[in-house]
Amino acid sequence: MAVQQAPSYLGRLACVLGFLFLFHSGYSTFEHLSYLKAVDGHESGLPLDITIELIMSVALFGLGIVMVADDFKEILMETEMAKQSIESLDARPSFYAFDHRGRAVFRNVVLKN
Amino acid sequence: MVNAAKVLQDLRASAERKPDVVVRLGKPLVESGAVKKLDADAWLVYEQVAIAALEVGDDTLAHRCIEALEAKFPGSARVRRLQGMQLEAVGRLEDAGEIYKAILREDETNVLAAKRQVMLLRTMGLPAEAIGALVKYLDINYTDFEGWLQLADFYLEELMNTFVFLDQLLAAFLRYAQAAFCMEEVIMLQPQNHVFHLKYAEILYSQDSIGLALKQFCRVVELCKDHVRGLYGIKLCTSRLLKAAPSRNPAATSQEDLKAIDLLATERLLAVYGSGNAAASVKTTSAKWIESA
Repeated sequence: MAVQQAPSYLGRLACVLGFLFLFHSGYSTFEHLSYLKAVDGHESGLPLDITIELIMSVALFGLGIVMVADDFKEILMETEMAKQSIESLDARPSFYAFDHRGRAVFRNVVLKN
Repeated sequence: MVNAAKVLQDLRASAERKPDVVVRLGKPLVESGAVKKLDADAWLVYEQVAIAALEVGDDTLAHRCIEALEAKFPGSARVRRLQGMQLEAVGRLEDAGEIYKAILREDETNVLAAKRQVMLLRTMGLPAEAIGALVKYLDINYTDFEGWLQLADFYLEELMNTFVFLDQLLAAFLRYAQAAFCMEEVIMLQPQNHVFHLKYAEILYSQDSIGLALKQFCRVVELCKDHVRGLYGIKLCTSRLLKAAPSRNPAATSQEDLKAIDLLATERLLAVYGSGNAAASVKTTSAKWIESA
């Protein structure tokens, strides 16, 4: 009974922004390392602004995912069973008999879409 | 085409008996040869369409499907069973019986053929023999809940087909007890299925063991929230028990509890009927009826 809810545009925006910032922080790291290599520096660790950008982007991305994701599905057996009709819950396919009205009723009926 | 295959697959999974739908969707698939594109599923579709076609009396389509299966799996017991079913459908019961016998001679444990034999006896108009065969089958395959369900149905069917005179009352009671026993076995094998509890409760009610039936109807509602048939069953039981003299049995449900259960069932029924988008007149009429019952 998962009702399709309206997509959360705010969540999608957060996802896109989070991804862009994440990408940007990764790119900045690459830039920083290549800069270090060029100047033969021995500095270890990343500058603070890249670290902050990274953490913030992950948080924003996570928030966006939570907002976009659909409602949780029930894991109870009960809800799954309630969805099924009595015909399918009480079906006995290996005990079909053919001496019923179906053959007479449908004989001259053309079953079409 | 893809959609038709998907619907057929869903119907195979749910085991719902909708032969007209299966033939309507499956016939173009089989006749245009598009079914072959389904790879491994194709043979399942052929089998499904063949059985459905037999049910709606489209023997040429069934023949076509079974021939295709025969060409792919020559001599297979499953295909021979289909051929037997085809003979059953056109009324050649003895020939069908020969096929099933031959399958069982080769492989005693072929449950599908054994089940067909049971149904064959029923089609021949020999319910007592069918029951005997099914009991023998269940003696070996006692974990087959379908078999137990069918046996319960046989017992109930027998009750419907015979007029119950006063001297047959005892026999009728025995039949209900036997059907109830079968349902107990089914519930042991499939305790999560509320429909089986419902069937058991209804048999108990017919057997006039109202107290036990009430408990079973309550179990139905417990397993499937707001199950209308279960709620009506509860109301039937509570009104019968409230009208009867209070039971001396200490294990029986007390009058106060019965009244509370009755009230709750009424409330839930009203809530269920009030929530839908039925017309207002329908709602008020059903509400009046439920409250008066």
